[in-house]
Amino acid sequence: MPINLNHNLHQFQLKNGLRVMLKEIHTAPVTSTWIWYGIGSRNELPGKTGLSHWVEHMQFKGTRKYTGEDIDNLVSRVGGYANAFTSSDWTTYFETMPSAHLHATLELEADRMVNSLFDPEEVETERTVILSEREGSENYPEFRLDEAVQLHSFQSHPYRNEVLGSKEDLIGITRDDLYQHYRNYYQPANAILCIAGDISPHTVLEEVENLFGGIQSVPMNRSIPTPEKTLNQGDLVEMEGPGEAHYLEIAWRCPAASDPDFFAYTIIESLLSGPSSLNMFGSGSINNRTSRFYQALVEEDYAASVFGDLSANIDPGVYKVFATIQPDGNPGAALKIIDEQIHQITSSELSIREIERAIKQARALFAYSSENITNQGFWMGYASSFADYQWVAEYLTRLSSVTPRQVLKTAQKYLREDQRVVGVYRASNTQEGS
Amino acid sequence: MNNSMPDSSTILRETWNNGTTLLAYPNLTSPAVYFTGYMQPGSIADPDEMHGLASFTTDMLMTGTKHLNFQQLHDKIESIGASLSLSTGHLSTTFFGQCLREDLETIWSLLVEVIQEPAFTEKQFKRVRNQILTSIAIQNQDTAEMASQAFNSALYGSHPYAHPEIGYAQTVSGIRLEQLESFHANHYGPNGLVMAVCGGIEPEVAREIFSRTLGTWQNNTQSPPETLPPFTPPVSSIRSHVALEGKNQSDLIIGVPAPKTVSRDYQVCSIGNSILGQYGMMGRIGKVVREKAGLAYEVSSHLGAGIGPTAWTIVAGVNPDNLEKAIALLKQELVRFCSEPVTEQELQDVKTQAMGRLPLSLETNAGIASILVSIERYGYSLDHLHQLPSIIESITAEEILASARRYWDLEKLVIASAGKAL
Repeated sequence: MPINLNHNLHQFQLKNGLRVMLKEIHTAPVTSTWIWYGIGSRNELPGKTGLSHWVEHMQFKGTRKYTGEDIDNLVSRVGGYANAFTSSDWTTYFETMPSAHLHATLELEADRMVNSLFDPEEVETERTVILSEREGSENYPEFRLDEAVQLHSFQSHPYRNEVLGSKEDLIGITRDDLYQHYRNYYQPANAILCIAGDISPHTVLEEVENLFGGIQSVPMNRSIPTPEKTLNQGDLVEMEGPGEAHYLEIAWRCPAASDPDFFAYTIIESLLSGPSSLNMFGSGSINNRTSRFYQALVEEDYAASVFGDLSANIDPGVYKVFATIQPDGNPGAALKIIDEQIHQITSSELSIREIERAIKQARALFAYSSENITNQGFWMGYASSFADYQWVAEYLTRLSSVTPRQVLKTAQKYLREDQRVVGVYRASNTQEGS
Repeated sequence: MNNSMPDSSTILRETWNNGTTLLAYPNLTSPAVYFTGYMQPGSIADPDEMHGLASFTTDMLMTGTKHLNFQQLHDKIESIGASLSLSTGHLSTTFFGQCLREDLETIWSLLVEVIQEPAFTEKQFKRVRNQILTSIAIQNQDTAEMASQAFNSALYGSHPYAHPEIGYAQTVSGIRLEQLESFHANHYGPNGLVMAVCGGIEPEVAREIFSRTLGTWQNNTQSPPETLPPFTPPVSSIRSHVALEGKNQSDLIIGVPAPKTVSRDYQVCSIGNSILGQYGMMGRIGKVVREKAGLAYEVSSHLGAGIGPTAWTIVAGVNPDNLEKAIALLKQELVRFCSEPVTEQELQDVKTQAMGRLPLSLETNAGIASILVSIERYGYSLDHLHQLPSIIESITAEEILASARRYWDLEKLVIASAGKAL
C-alpha cells in the first residue's frame, strides 16, 4: 500500500509571513503541534556559539502571561508531552496533546514567539544547567572525538561547531546576547507552524489567524555562511584519554539535502553502514548487520560495532562513520578495511537488487513512522526547514529513480581519501594490537 | 488506530498446549506490525561463577541457525526492512520486532528458527565474546552505568539482582561454547512464552500464523522457571562511589526498595513518584535541583516495575564539585515528601496527567503491544485500561504520604555515585 504523505495536507501563509501546514489524521484523538524557527548553530557567529540552544532553554522560563510553571502545567496536566530541539539549521518546539487542548498550545506558542522574559536570574541558573548538559556529554570519548572531527570538517562554516556551544562561549554569553538573538530570529516570517492530528483545518486556520496574525515581522539580521563543498585534505585528528575501547570516526562531505546527489548518497549510506530512519521518535529501525562496513569490520573482528550518519542539511554537511574498536584492536587496521570498502563502491556499479533492497527498507521505515502522529508533525517542518515538504513526500519516489550509474558517480565524487577527516581516540588503559 | 481502548472485547488472548500465549490487537489502518514478548530464561539462572551466561546465550541466537549463516539470516530480515531482537533481563528474555504486515509469517518463522535451532559456531562464539567484553569495557568507563551497578550491588546484596545481566569481564571470559549450548537446551522452550502483536493484521490471522510457528514448538528438556530467592533490604544507609578518571560529570543514584508492582501501594507510589520527580520539568526535585539551583541538566525519579524486587530511585548527573550539595538538596526534598501530604493541586495535576496520557500511550503499535505484555506479565484483567482511571481517581494525598514514609526510610538510603574521585 503506497504511503501518500500529501493526503489531507493543507498549506497556508499568513500576511506576516508565517507558514502554516496542517495535516488531518483522525486515527486517534491526538494532535501534535510543532513550531519551527529558521535558526540554529549555522547562523551563529564566532564567540557566540550555543546561543540558539540556550534561547531554546529560555523559552520554557516564562513570559508575562505564563510562568515557567504554567508552561509545564499546560502540557503536563492533560497528559501531553512537549519538548524542544536545536540543530545546526533549526530550532523547534512541539506539544503532543489530547486534541481538545490544541487551542491552549497555540496560545502558548503565539505568546512565546515574542513575549519571553529572559529574566537575568533565570539566565544565570540556565548557564549552569547548560554547562552541566555539556559536561554530561563530555564524559563520553565518542562525544569528544566527534566534536574534534566536526571542527576539522569545516574551515569556517558554523557546522564546525557543537550545537551546545563551546565552554568558553557559554561562560561569556550575556543576557543581552540571548535576548537579541531571540528578538531577531523569533518572528512569523522565520517560522513554520505544523499541526498534525485530529483537527478541522478551517477551524484551526481561523485560530491561527487570530493568535498569530497580529504579530509583526521585522527585517531580520541573519548571518548566512558560505557553503563549503570540500574538506581539508586528509585531515587526521588524534586523541588519547581514559577508557578501554578505541574509537574511529571518519567524515566525508555530503551534499545539501536539496541537492539531487543526496538521494544517491542515501543509497550509498544504506549499503555501507545501514539505513537511517528519518524519524525522531524511535518508531522503528533496521539493523545494519548486512551492511558492507559491518560485514567487513565486525564480522571479521576489526571492530565491535559500526554505524553511520548522513545528515540532511541546508548546506553541504558530512556523512560520518563511527566504529568502536575492541581494547586489543587497532584503529589503523579498521581504517584500512574501510578504505577497501570505499575502493569497491567507487570502482563498480551496484546491482539493481541492492538498490531495490534499500528502497524496500526505506518504505518499511516510513510505514513504521506513519502510525505516529508526532512523527507526521515532525516531518512537515523538518523537511521544510532545509528543502520543502515534497522532499519527504516524494522521498521514496526519488530513491526509486536512482540508478546504479548515479550511485557510482556520487560515490566517486564524495568518498575521496583526500576529502575526508579521520579521527582516532586511543584509550590509554588498553594494550593495542599490532 | 480506533479511538476505543483495547479491552476484553477487542483483544484476542489464546493459550496453546505447549504453554505459549498470544495476545493480538488490530490496528488495520497501519501497514506495519509490531510484536514483543518474553520467554523463560533470565540471568537469575546464571551460576555464580558464570554471570553473563544467559545473556551471552541470547546474543548467540542471532548469529546464525543450523540452516542459515549470519549473513543469510540477517539478509532475510534486513532485505524486507524488518527487525528482530532479543535481550536477556534478570527474570526473562524479551524479544521484539517490526515488519510490514505481509512479512509477519516470515519474521515469526525466523524467530522460531533462531530460538529453536541456533548454530553455536566457534567463530561466532569468539566474535560475540569479544563484543561483550568490549561492551563491558565501555560500561566500566560510563559514569551512569557504574553508578547503577554500584547501586544494585549495595541494594540487592546477595540477591541475584545485584549482578548486571551482561556479567563481568572475568566471568564472561571463562564461559565455554558448550556451556552456552547446554544452557540453551535446558532453559529455552515454549513454556511461559508470551507474544503480543499489534498492527495491520486481523487477530485471527495472527492466531493462524502463531499456530503454525511458535504454537508448535516443543522442548521436553526445558527446566521449570527459576525461583527467585527472597530479598533482604539493607538495614542501614549505604554510600558507595566508583572513581573514574577524566570525567567532567558525576552520576548519582539515591534509592530504596519499591513496592510490589501488583499492589495498591504501587499505584499510590506511582502517583507520588510523578509529583516527586516526573511531572512537568521533573517534578519537585527538578524544580529544586535544576530550575532553582541550576545544579543538573538531568534529575528525575523512577519507580521500578517487575515481578521481582525493584527500586524507587532518584537519578541525577551533576558537576563533581556539586555532588554533595545535590545529595543534600535531594535529601531535603525527601524529608518534605515524607513529612507533609502533597497538595491537592499537585495531586489533581498528576491525576489528570495520568488520565490524559492513556490515549497518547495508544498512539503506536509498539505502545499497545507493550501494554498487552504488561497485562499478561502482571496478571491484570484484559479490561485493565478501563479500570485504571477509577484506581487513579481514588488515590488520596494521605495515602501518598503514608506510602512515602513506608518506602523512603531516610535511615536506610542507598546512595551510589560514579565519577571523579571523592
